Amino acid sequence: MVDAARPAMPAPVLEASGLCKRFSLHARGIGLNVLHGVHLAVHAGQVTVLTGPSGAGKSSILKAIYRTYLPTAGSLNYRTGAGEMVDLAKADDHTILHLRRWEIGYVAQFLHCLPRQPALDVVARPLVERGMNREQARAGARKILAHLRIPEALTNLPPATFSGGEKQRVNLARGFLTRPRLLLLDEPTASLDQESQERVIELILQAKAEGAAILAIFHDRSLIDRLADARVEVVPDVRVEPLGGDEGACRCDRP
Amino acid sequence: MNSAHENDRLLACRGLTRWHGSGCPACLEETGPERNTNVCPRCGTVVALAQASLDLRRGEVVGIIGESGSGKSTLVKMLYFDEEPSAGKAIFHGPEGVCELFELNAAQARKLRNRYLGIVYQNPHLGLNYRHSAGGNIAERLLLAGVSHYAEIRERARVLLRRTEVPEDRMDELPGRFSIGMQQRVQIAKALAPGPPLLLLDEVTTGLDVSVQARILDLILELQHELNIAMLVVTHDLGVVRLLAGRTLVLRLGRIVEAGLTDQILEDPQHPYTQQLISSAL
Repeated sequence: MVDAARPAMPAPVLEASGLCKRFSLHARGIGLNVLHGVHLAVHAGQVTVLTGPSGAGKSSILKAIYRTYLPTAGSLNYRTGAGEMVDLAKADDHTILHLRRWEIGYVAQFLHCLPRQPALDVVARPLVERGMNREQARAGARKILAHLRIPEALTNLPPATFSGGEKQRVNLARGFLTRPRLLLLDEPTASLDQESQERVIELILQAKAEGAAILAIFHDRSLIDRLADARVEVVPDVRVEPLGGDEGACRCDRP
Repeated sequence: MNSAHENDRLLACRGLTRWHGSGCPACLEETGPERNTNVCPRCGTVVALAQASLDLRRGEVVGIIGESGSGKSTLVKMLYFDEEPSAGKAIFHGPEGVCELFELNAAQARKLRNRYLGIVYQNPHLGLNYRHSAGGNIAERLLLAGVSHYAEIRERARVLLRRTEVPEDRMDELPGRFSIGMQQRVQIAKALAPGPPLLLLDEVTTGLDVSVQARILDLILELQHELNIAMLVVTHDLGVVRLLAGRTLVLRLGRIVEAGLTDQILEDPQHPYTQQLISSAL
């Protein structure tokens, strides 16, 4: 794990230090160590890109920050909009849910959404959960879906039947619409055509201009060159070991 | 950070325990997932649920998963006063103030249940009175909650049935003549009638056809969004918690073995039992 070059600037929105992730697979009696003391910082108004080959653990870092994976060790110090410090690695579930609703967005590689719900409502839902009136939220959803070139006629259908690229754009629309302070993007343009990709880049640049801190994974080298303000290289190093008696401890920390 | 949520508290359970039998000092130690039994080897007492603690916020949906006999139904039945706990407490932050559920006398408990709690059982026969019409079932619930004006009761029943997609012209029919899916929707309407801040759902989609399940789940989800009602959703179906719950508790042999955000429970389960449960799902 190599630190990104960090010029002098205000305190980061998120600072990971010593982040470790181990999966304890009890049925197989093995521990799978995938992250070993990751250090990184994500600043407001910047795009930080995780680089490294597939299988290096880039997605695992995003999931550990979002708490879809429970970090094994280390800290994830997040500065909230109100200026409080919260360690996302240790915060209670209610705090994480609160931050997910108001501050931290995550666009996964694949769209997970409620079945049978029209795309428009899938995208509008996070705003409705914030208490916005449904029609107002839908208007916002309609606008961002149009920007991402989803045909109006599709927006009233559930995304289950959409193409991969359309699903991905619905996913992105939902992620960007709430304007999160910290945005985690996992290969946001992987299955998009050139024109749609440009629209996504516009959204990223706009979010950045508005001060969002973005941590992203991009498949495409040219995109990294275009968008990255900082890079963090993730080195693949998966270690398998038998499960011992001290599952709580992390033995993978390196100086 | 936590202080921001102070006013959101709805329910706090601490050490809820329920056993069937004489009980002995070894009961809790000798049972549970590590002992692989919920029957005390010394006195034969069945420990249905032990030392269960959970916090529920207003408008929050929490899933409770586990196999049959894990204690998940016992938990909701105690909260609905259907069963008495052997130990533990439950602090309820209701519209009329804070109270400990199990310190209430029978009349107070009944009143609280009638006004502020709703339950939907797996079997609609438990939740509905089959000698009363669909509308009558809702009227009964509203009367218990203190609504006494006939026209108002009638109108609210009509609105609730419409909301739960029960045709209005069948309002005066007996629920026994409805399909099982529609009976379940009447049960949901009845549970929601007094506008409770907390709804308990006990395996509400188990045993229904898949298409009926989907409609019931969609309905629950819509109502949850619309009314911002807190729910405890007991199920053995991982799909149901994935769909409905922000947080999930995993029960095994009367103990909470794991609690976490639902996506974390499903993608990164920690406890050996949860891992087995997730990996054996289709």
